Amino acid sequence: MIAWLTARRAVRSGVIWGYIFGVAIASSAVSYTRLYKSTAQRDALAAAYGTDKATSALFGPAPQLQTVGGFTVFKISMTLMLLGAVWGLLTSTRLLRGEEENGRWELLLAGQTTRRGAVVQALRGLGAGVVTLWALTGLITVLTGLDASVDIAAGPALYFALAMVATAVMFLAVGALTSQLAATRRQAAAYAAWVLGVSYAVRLVADAGLGLHGLIWASPLGWVEELRPLTAPQPLALVPIAALTTVLAAAAVRLAGARDVGAGIVPDRVSSRPHPRLLGGPTALAVRLIRPAVTGWWVAIAISGLLFGLIARSAGGTISGSSVQVLSKLGSRGNGTDAVLGVCFLVLAVLVAFAGAGQITAARSEESAGRLDHLLTRPVSRSRWLGGRLLVTVVVLLASGVMAGVFAWAGAASQHAGVSFGSLAGAGMNLVPPAITIAGIGVLALGVWPRGTSIVLYALLAWSLLVVVIGGIGATSHWVLDTSVFHQMASAPAVPPHWEADGVMTAIGVVSALIGGIAFKRRDLRGA
Amino acid sequence: MAAAAIRTEGLTKRYGDVAALDHLDLEVAPGEVVGYLGPNGAGKTTTIRLLLGLISPTEGRGEIFGLDCQRQPVEAHRRLAFVAGEANLWPSLTGAETLRLLGRVQGSWGRVDDAYRDELVARFDLDPAKKVRAYSKGNRQKVILIAALMTRADLLVLDEPTSGLDPLMEQAFRGSVREARDRGQTVFLSSHIMSEVEALCDRVAILRQGKLVELGTLAEMRHLAALTVEATFDGPLPDLSGVPGVSSVRAEGRVVRCQVRGSVAPLLKVLPAADVTELLSREPSLEELFLAQYGAGQDGAGQDGAGQGA
Repeated sequence: MIAWLTARRAVRSGVIWGYIFGVAIASSAVSYTRLYKSTAQRDALAAAYGTDKATSALFGPAPQLQTVGGFTVFKISMTLMLLGAVWGLLTSTRLLRGEEENGRWELLLAGQTTRRGAVVQALRGLGAGVVTLWALTGLITVLTGLDASVDIAAGPALYFALAMVATAVMFLAVGALTSQLAATRRQAAAYAAWVLGVSYAVRLVADAGLGLHGLIWASPLGWVEELRPLTAPQPLALVPIAALTTVLAAAAVRLAGARDVGAGIVPDRVSSRPHPRLLGGPTALAVRLIRPAVTGWWVAIAISGLLFGLIARSAGGTISGSSVQVLSKLGSRGNGTDAVLGVCFLVLAVLVAFAGAGQITAARSEESAGRLDHLLTRPVSRSRWLGGRLLVTVVVLLASGVMAGVFAWAGAASQHAGVSFGSLAGAGMNLVPPAITIAGIGVLALGVWPRGTSIVLYALLAWSLLVVVIGGIGATSHWVLDTSVFHQMASAPAVPPHWEADGVMTAIGVVSALIGGIAFKRRDLRGA
Repeated sequence: MAAAAIRTEGLTKRYGDVAALDHLDLEVAPGEVVGYLGPNGAGKTTTIRLLLGLISPTEGRGEIFGLDCQRQPVEAHRRLAFVAGEANLWPSLTGAETLRLLGRVQGSWGRVDDAYRDELVARFDLDPAKKVRAYSKGNRQKVILIAALMTRADLLVLDEPTSGLDPLMEQAFRGSVREARDRGQTVFLSSHIMSEVEALCDRVAILRQGKLVELGTLAEMRHLAALTVEATFDGPLPDLSGVPGVSSVRAEGRVVRCQVRGSVAPLLKVLPAADVTELLSREPSLEELFLAQYGAGQDGAGQDGAGQGA
């Protein structure tokens, strides 16, 4: 029963993400064949990125950029590895701890199902989901490989797809284990996210050209990298991946039997002394509620900004001549360091936009869970509640932009990279308008299609990211590119911020939010 | 004269073709305790959400103390306190923090004083140091009950407020509502628990399929409804079916049960001749009145003791 229920939801999600994975791979491969037709062009690309430490640290090493396969791996694999890991940890914590937290398992556990049996069944269901993810990703990759200019055989294509879902497999298991440790879904996902963060940081150091490449074997993301699909396959790296997955899954099953239903292994603090701060009204409450999540985003932005700053100089130093032209196709201009930072700030822009989108989905979940009723049946108007939350969102975004700029500057300055504080502070603020556009459109959804709020937000984010990652090097139609907020954003500090475009994006966000706010004021409150 | 605590005029809410609430006209005077009854899906919660301005009516309007529910929700909410049937609170806050938050949100308009809040916390036996996510359903319900009662608002709107409470807490709740009434607060109590409504309410409104089918004091409703009579005979059982006003006659051994509407005089004329040894009569309980209303829509089948006969 649990196996079937879990499988149904995991497979549905696997279908959607398998499609996204497949399309991302296909467009990467196809855009390469259209863009870099001549050997000279391909050599120039390889010269620009092939030995570049910054891109290697961020996206993994880039051997064989002269081939479609090598380019595709470089272009898309790190993004898909991270997406897969996030998919894995969110899916398993949702379907294991989340279901238990909501009490949906209690009825089944009161019957003949044991706690261990329930986890085994759920793991089987998750397995069905990840097999679907792999099958669909593989299918689209194989079909793409049939194209004469792409020309990738079915075997390597399926092996590549396997590598791309390997992080999903491992992080499903990580999530299964943390679901036994923590008593809430949120806590379980947070533990798993820390594991992912550490894995990424370890492989970043390993790939940064600091002579520490051996560290790659200390990171699950490193193992996936060492699979080296489409370039120099090394299936031996599947051994630690399979071993880790098995050990984690077995530990999850074992721990499930050693705890009470609804409880975690790590004791949940059920009592605490009252903390009277930030309980004075709806806006103060919003600040209090979002604090843990926003702190997480800020830590991520600060660490990423600092790292990008640290590596910018050495990375930029390797870029010269024709390489600068290639980078300029990604929107970056100026000297090497600035150009590299321009690309790095795109990653920061995504983090800032996610932090903003999270604010809007948090507001919607207050409504859908019925908690908003307790405020709106008191002397609090809908405008005051929503206005307060949006004010908090804007402050969060501005602070995120400032932090991105300041930490990147601190990193760069420590390496004497010669980048001015003003230009990085400006680049930081330049990250805010795209996030405001996305958040504003999210408020519009909250007003007119409340149940679709998170769908709209994350679809818009995923689309914008996909367009800029796939189409960043050119060729894609301008009409498509223009729909991505990240494409609209100038890649400061490589080029000066486009204040005009920023103004337009901010205006779109503000107007959408206003219309959404008016619709929200007039409509019925709606549950989940 | 002071404005009615609650007044609705033709209040209607439709979802597509389905009328969740159909032209409700209702008036609750200040200081009254009114019970609001109806089976699941009758429109009780819809009425309350309309009155609170959480949803807007398809037709008609509602007022709280003369303030329009849709156009002046904030002003209206300053004078009321609401308890929902499902206490979905912030899981990361403790009970004490939740009460502090909800008290502060009510603002200076509320008359929250810490001493009264603490008294209620003690009365409902709540451990305020626990986090909401660690509370049982009953304990979460206590939090929102205390949050509403502590404001001493002019109007208490209670939507199945005692779901999940144990009998001891149910008593504490009843005591608190009586206190509120004695202070002159108005109470609008939607409930499934007939004994609770019977014990607390001056007037009762019964809703069925979105329509108000009965409104009045319990005495009025009982007067309109049938009296249950149970007679024990020594000799052969008389045939009571032809007696004016008598219906639903059932015999069981030497006992005959029947319903009497209007005057009992015709029945009393027949009984002495049949050698009656015991005679019991009682007014219908609210539950019987309710079942009579509810059952009437289902051919009155199986409504023993409350069927209204032909």
